[in-house]
Amino acid sequence: MTATGPASGTVQGRVVGVFATSHSPGMTGFPERADAAQRDAVHDAFAELRCRIQALEPDAIIAVSVEHFSNFSLANLPAFAIATAGSYLGPVTAEMAAFLNIGQRRYPGHADLGEHVYRFALESEFDPALVQGDFEFDENFCVPLEFLDPRSRIPLVPVVVNGVNRPAPTPRRCYEFGRMLRAAVAAQHSAPRVVVLATGGLSHWVGMRESGQINESFDRDFLGRLSSGDAARLTDYRQEQIDEAGNGADEIRTWLVAAGAAGTGFDILTYEPVPAWLTGTAVAAARMP
Amino acid sequence: MYAVHKLLWDIRREPALADRFRSDPDALLDDYGLTGRERDAMRGLDVKSLYDAGANPYLLYFCALQLGMPRQDYYARIRGERP
Repeated sequence: MTATGPASGTVQGRVVGVFATSHSPGMTGFPERADAAQRDAVHDAFAELRCRIQALEPDAIIAVSVEHFSNFSLANLPAFAIATAGSYLGPVTAEMAAFLNIGQRRYPGHADLGEHVYRFALESEFDPALVQGDFEFDENFCVPLEFLDPRSRIPLVPVVVNGVNRPAPTPRRCYEFGRMLRAAVAAQHSAPRVVVLATGGLSHWVGMRESGQINESFDRDFLGRLSSGDAARLTDYRQEQIDEAGNGADEIRTWLVAAGAAGTGFDILTYEPVPAWLTGTAVAAARMP
Repeated sequence: MYAVHKLLWDIRREPALADRFRSDPDALLDDYGLTGRERDAMRGLDVKSLYDAGANPYLLYFCALQLGMPRQDYYARIRGERP
């Protein structure tokens, strides 16, 4: 159980850092196929992010991504979900572990923070699905965390946004969900220092005819909006515009959650359109006040 | 399309179902209530027809891989470059 609301005499929770990255399987699974300069730029940006996260000494990471039908199905597909388990298996199968070149393990969960965020979301008139267990990771969390917390020490609260089957939540709703997450963190003290990490995107096509293409102009425009921190510009997307960057670009919704949680602009640590990884690959960090 | 999506998802999740699909597809397709064009397309793993009919690309692609279709074949087929 976790106290909600302002608690006198205790440290209020705070979002100390907000980051967003791609989660392309190629980054861990087949890095050698990418152009060396691009690969190094991406890996260097992840190394920089790992240092920043370490320096922040977070008590928990709220990790926001999609899930690629590893758990949910069209029998029950949440628009948003919050997981509150004590641990999570990932990668989901030995087969996927081999494909991603990431050893299977159990990632720690921050159940108290997860339960609090779930309750706070409902009190804030959001209606996420509750996921108390049997939730497993695919590349969504495993790939970025392999760079950012390779020993899997920081407890996680996974948050899932539907980005794999349309229709999906509106950009504005995603941004507002992120604002709610920041308020939720401030209304508890079980995890005083919290990092928000969003993963997904940018342009890519999964299982579609266009697979292998990258929409660099879409990506750079999106990163420009993200850098500005201008909520109106960030959320000014129609689905048809996102379509131009592929079904994988639906995952920018996770970045919009991060932008809402940050409430400020982002520094773009790297952007590389990497054909060998089939993805416009970026790493970004919010300029926290 | 729901029955197709359910079967695509189940095959990926359940290796025994993939084996059944290979060894006795008609019985499996009966179990899922698949009829008509959807049944024909699924039976022949005609990914282009399923793709054109609006199957979710993630579910279709993952299931095809699970059933042993090489990535390049999948993409060549949905692009109509290979029957």
